[in-house]
Amino acid sequence: MLSRSTACRGAQRAARSQAVRQSQRRGLAAPASGSFQYQSGDAKGVKFASRDFAGPTTTLALVSKAGTRYQPLPGLTEGLANFAFRSTTKRSTLRIVRESELLGAELRAYHTRENLVLEAKFLRDDLPYFVELLGEVASKTKYEPYVYNEEVVPLIHAAHVRFLASPASMAINSAHSLAFHRGLGTPTASASTTPYTKYLDPSTIEYFSKIAFAKPNFAVVANGADHGAMSNWVNEFFDDSPSTVEVEDSKTGSEQTKYHGGEERIAHAGGNAVVIGFPGSSSITGKSYKPEIAVLGSLLGGQSSIKWSPGFSILGNAKVSPSTYTHTTSAIYSDAGLLYTVIKGSAENVAKTAATAVDAIKKIASGEISKEQVTKAKATAKFKELEYGQDVLAGLELTGSGLVHGSKPYQLDEVAKAIDGVSEEALKSAAKSLLENRASVSSVGDLFALPYAEDLGLKV
Amino acid sequence: MRRPWLSRWVKPLAEWYVNAAGYRKLGLRADDLIPEENEVVQLALKRLPPKDAYDRVYRLRRAFQCSVSHQLLPKEQWTKPEEDTPYLTNVITNIESEMKEREDLEAMVVEKRSKNAAGH
Repeated sequence: MLSRSTACRGAQRAARSQAVRQSQRRGLAAPASGSFQYQSGDAKGVKFASRDFAGPTTTLALVSKAGTRYQPLPGLTEGLANFAFRSTTKRSTLRIVRESELLGAELRAYHTRENLVLEAKFLRDDLPYFVELLGEVASKTKYEPYVYNEEVVPLIHAAHVRFLASPASMAINSAHSLAFHRGLGTPTASASTTPYTKYLDPSTIEYFSKIAFAKPNFAVVANGADHGAMSNWVNEFFDDSPSTVEVEDSKTGSEQTKYHGGEERIAHAGGNAVVIGFPGSSSITGKSYKPEIAVLGSLLGGQSSIKWSPGFSILGNAKVSPSTYTHTTSAIYSDAGLLYTVIKGSAENVAKTAATAVDAIKKIASGEISKEQVTKAKATAKFKELEYGQDVLAGLELTGSGLVHGSKPYQLDEVAKAIDGVSEEALKSAAKSLLENRASVSSVGDLFALPYAEDLGLKV
Repeated sequence: MRRPWLSRWVKPLAEWYVNAAGYRKLGLRADDLIPEENEVVQLALKRLPPKDAYDRVYRLRRAFQCSVSHQLLPKEQWTKPEEDTPYLTNVITNIESEMKEREDLEAMVVEKRSKNAAGH
C-alpha cells in the first residue's frame, strides 16, 4: 500500500511549482494586491470575470439572475438548484459525480435571494473540464419527471422542514417579506408544502431554466484562473446557451424594489427569535449605496470578533445575558437592502434585548456615542467587507451578480474607500432616518413574552 | 431499412405469431406481459407517468376478468397493432443502462495522469 506521504508528494510538488510559477510571472514592480481586482470580459455574449489569484486551486461559479426574487412561480429556484449537475444529454448524474471525484473537485449548487450559483472548486489545470461542465449543466440538463420525483422533491421537502424548525430563519424571511413584499420578500425556502405540491413540476422548471440560463441572465466568474485561458474556454463551451430569452419571460422581480415595513408575529414552540429590520443600503453596483449603513451595522453588532470579551459593539455589551444571540447584518441586494438585527434566546431575554437594541439606535441618532466607538465600527466594517470579499465564495457571487445586474464587477477597493469616508454626522443622520421610517419587525416563538413593535418604540 | 426483402418476408410471420399469442384479444399490450417481480421492473413501473400506470392497471384487470369468465373481449376492444407500443421497455432499457454504467464505473482502473506520474 502506498503510504500517505508518498501519495501526497505529487500533489505537494504540483502545488509548489504552481506557486513558484505564479510569483515569477509577476514583474518586480507590479503590486502584490493587483490580483485582488477582477478582470471582466465578454465572450460571445457571455459575461465573465476572473482574477488570477496565486494558488494551486481554482473556484469557478456560474452566477445566474434566478434567485427566489426572480422566480415566476414559488419553488422554481429551489427546483432548478436541485436539478443542477443531474443527467445531461451527454452524461449521466453518476458520470458527472465520478469524473469530478477523480479530478478531486467539489461541486455545489445553491441559491440566495437574487442569485442561483453553480459552483465548482478544483485544481488549476482542470479549468477546461469544469467550464465545459457548467456550460453543459446550463444548456443540456434533462428535466426528467422521475429524477424530479426521486431526487429533487425530497431535497426541497428537507429544506422546507429545516426552515420550519428554525425560528431565526423564519423570522429573517418574514422580516424580508414585510419589508419588500413580493420579489426580494419571497422566502428562500418553501414556507409551506404548496410550492412543490401545487406549482412545481419538471416542465415548469425546464421553462425557468431557459430564462435563468439565457446569456444575458448569467455570468461566469473564476477565482484563480488566467484571464486569457478563461476567455478562451468560455468562448468555446457556452455556444448552446440561448443568446436571448426565447420563451415568454414573466419578468418577475425585475421592477425596482420598494420598501414597505410592518410587523408579523408567528407562534412557534421550537425557540424564540426577534428580527428588527430597517431599510438598508444596496450593493455598490446598485443605485442606493450607503456606506454608513454598513458602519451602523457593525456599531450595533452583537457578536464579538475577539475571544473572552463581549466586543466593542453596542448590542454585544447591552444584551441581557451572554447566552442571548444577537447579530446585526446589513443585507445588500442589487437595488435595495435591509439592515436587520437578529435576537435569539429565551423569550424573556429576547424581549429585553430587543428593547435595548432600539434604545441603542436612539442613542446613536442623538449622538451619544464616543468617537472611539465610531472609529472601531469603521475599522470593523472595513475589515469585514474586505475579508468577506477575500473569502472566495462570497466574492464570486457578488462579482457575478454585479456583472449580471449592472455589467460591472464588485470591486472591493471601492467599498473600502467608501467606508473610510463615512463621517460621524452621516452615521447619526442614518440612525435618525431609521427611526423615522417604518421598521420591519418579526417575532417568532413564545408570543406571550415577545414584545410588539409599538412597545419597543418603533414605527410600523 | 437495410434489408427490405427480409422484413417483407418475416413481418407477416411475426404478425401471425402475435395474433396467435392471443394477448391482444384480452386487450393487453406486449409490455403488460413483462414479469414484474424484480427490482428493475418495479422501479420502471414507479417511473411510469400516472396516466400510463392507470391504463396499465385497467388493462390487466380487464384481462383477468376475461380470463376468469373464459371469454374474449368483443372484437372492437381488441388491442390494435398500432396501440401495442413498448411503453415500459423504454424505461427498463434506461434503468438497465444506468445500472450497467454504474457497474462499469465501479470496475474502472484509476491511473495517474502521465504528467503527474513522471518522477515517482
